[in-house]
Amino acid sequence: MSAPRGVLVTGADAPLGERLVRRLLEDPGVAHVLAVGSRPMEEALPFEDERRLTYLAVNLTRERRVRDLLFGPARDLGVEVVVHTAMGHAASEEGKAVHAANVDATRDLLALCERHPTIHTFVLRSYAEVYQVQADLPVLIGEDHPLNLSPNAPQYVRDRVEADLHACVRMGLSPLRILVLRCAEVLAPGTGSQLFDYLASPICFRPMGYDPMLNLMSARDLVEALRLAVHAAEQGVFNLPGYDTLPLSMCIEKWGRAAVPVPGAWMTPLYRWRRQLRGHDFSYGMNRRRFHYSGVLDGRRARDVLAYTPAHPIDWPVPT
Amino acid sequence: MSLSLDLARLLASRALSAEERERLKSLRFANAGHGYDAFGLHPDVVALGEVLLGPVYDRYFRVTSYGCADAVPATGPAVLAANHSGALPVDGAMIWLDVLRHTHPPRVARAVADHFVPMLPLIGTFFARGGMVGGSRGNARVLLEAGELLLIFPEGVPGIGKHFKDRYKLQDWRVGHVELAIRHRAPVVPIAVVGAEEQMPQLGRIPIAFAGAPFIPVTLTPLPMPVHYHLHYGAPIRTDLEYKPEHADDPAAVREAAARVKAAVQALVDKGLAERPGIFT
Repeated sequence: MSAPRGVLVTGADAPLGERLVRRLLEDPGVAHVLAVGSRPMEEALPFEDERRLTYLAVNLTRERRVRDLLFGPARDLGVEVVVHTAMGHAASEEGKAVHAANVDATRDLLALCERHPTIHTFVLRSYAEVYQVQADLPVLIGEDHPLNLSPNAPQYVRDRVEADLHACVRMGLSPLRILVLRCAEVLAPGTGSQLFDYLASPICFRPMGYDPMLNLMSARDLVEALRLAVHAAEQGVFNLPGYDTLPLSMCIEKWGRAAVPVPGAWMTPLYRWRRQLRGHDFSYGMNRRRFHYSGVLDGRRARDVLAYTPAHPIDWPVPT
Repeated sequence: MSLSLDLARLLASRALSAEERERLKSLRFANAGHGYDAFGLHPDVVALGEVLLGPVYDRYFRVTSYGCADAVPATGPAVLAANHSGALPVDGAMIWLDVLRHTHPPRVARAVADHFVPMLPLIGTFFARGGMVGGSRGNARVLLEAGELLLIFPEGVPGIGKHFKDRYKLQDWRVGHVELAIRHRAPVVPIAVVGAEEQMPQLGRIPIAFAGAPFIPVTLTPLPMPVHYHLHYGAPIRTDLEYKPEHADDPAAVREAAARVKAAVQALVDKGLAERPGIFT
């Protein structure tokens, strides 16, 4: 393992960011964690470490604030690695402000990191949702799998693809070591998991005649993968699958819900009504293909290069 | 799915002998963690497949198998390449069960289906549980690298949809199966299916796409007739030894290997036709 280093974590006030900060503080290879969130300290992290943890509330959509952060506290603390996990969670949130937070902030952060005196590694937490899932594509999704570039995709997906591609484009052109981690869906509250929201109802409708294979990840595995990426010696794009690969019907059953197959044409109105009447975030349109066709991340590259192997199954059902 | 898995287990326990159930327990597959492989195969549904197809195989089509145990390797990757016919993919189902029964430990021939098959409700899911995969290069690559058996019909849809007058004449023989075999160091086992051509004589086709299929066949009978199936397995063509993986990018080498496989299948078809006493006997 390399010498202890400073790590900046964005999105530190979200559940996964918080877990990552906690895990990094346990890592003797990390000298200091600069946790960045959008909320004040007293609302953000339920733990403290005066010697090794600094928390700052910064609006990442304001380029000037980001510059002040990087060339102020980050430089003073000797930050070498930036782990960017801040991304809007709700599929229902759309618009310019969301795009600014998801994409423009990533672009600005990356650009500033490229001319930073101490930062040499940029880790982007990306998503399996960037991939296209359809019947004529491989079930096992490698890093070269087609991306979902459909202009009809919801902003939730388009923003993720754009941020991911921007980081990929800079790879090799940038002086930074850039790692793009395309993570399987984390089935946990507060992570923006569409499936988590889908499973919130006692009855889960699914398209009749289809039972695709899904791959899901525990928060513990994601945090461990991000920690490994902090110490990575190579850049690149990496798929991070989770431990659990199972059919949709089994997923519903393990959650203790009733799976009710209905004609596919009913799914969109049923879940539109659910969204409108109950305020849920699950969008069937966004998940339609993966509710029909299997898509499982192939994690061989992450295993070989990052030494990441999913080891922690989801604790079914996930506590809310 | 657990209800259907429970049902599958119940049916298998009633319909299969204790010996066969025990044998199926030694079926090797890459369990992705919940009893399924990443493509959706589940051993209990494989057993159910044997339960459902067994009577069709034994009594309806009275399948006679020649050389399966010798030709299909007990371990490691292989591509099974067969002629395709019969309007419905019964030939694939019969080969699937034949391989399952004649390999020790049992092996599942992972049928590579056209893209529209996974789109079919119920059928696509059931076939996937039995080991079928969609016909993408990525799926085939992963399975061969994992040392599995691939069942490919190089004629594709034109084979299964050919006119009755063209029976037992191999259609345009695609080369993808040998390209995969060469690249992933797998032998190719030629298979001839004799009998399927006469099960549902095709008289024409309605050029309307239906359920993902490119046309609707017009057949003499609405269901397959009880023809006698003969499955002939030829000696493996050692594409794994006679070619180097880089030959997979050499169009001439690939064409030459595909032509060898086609000739081997055609020879088996001719032999099977010459030897069979009749269509129904």
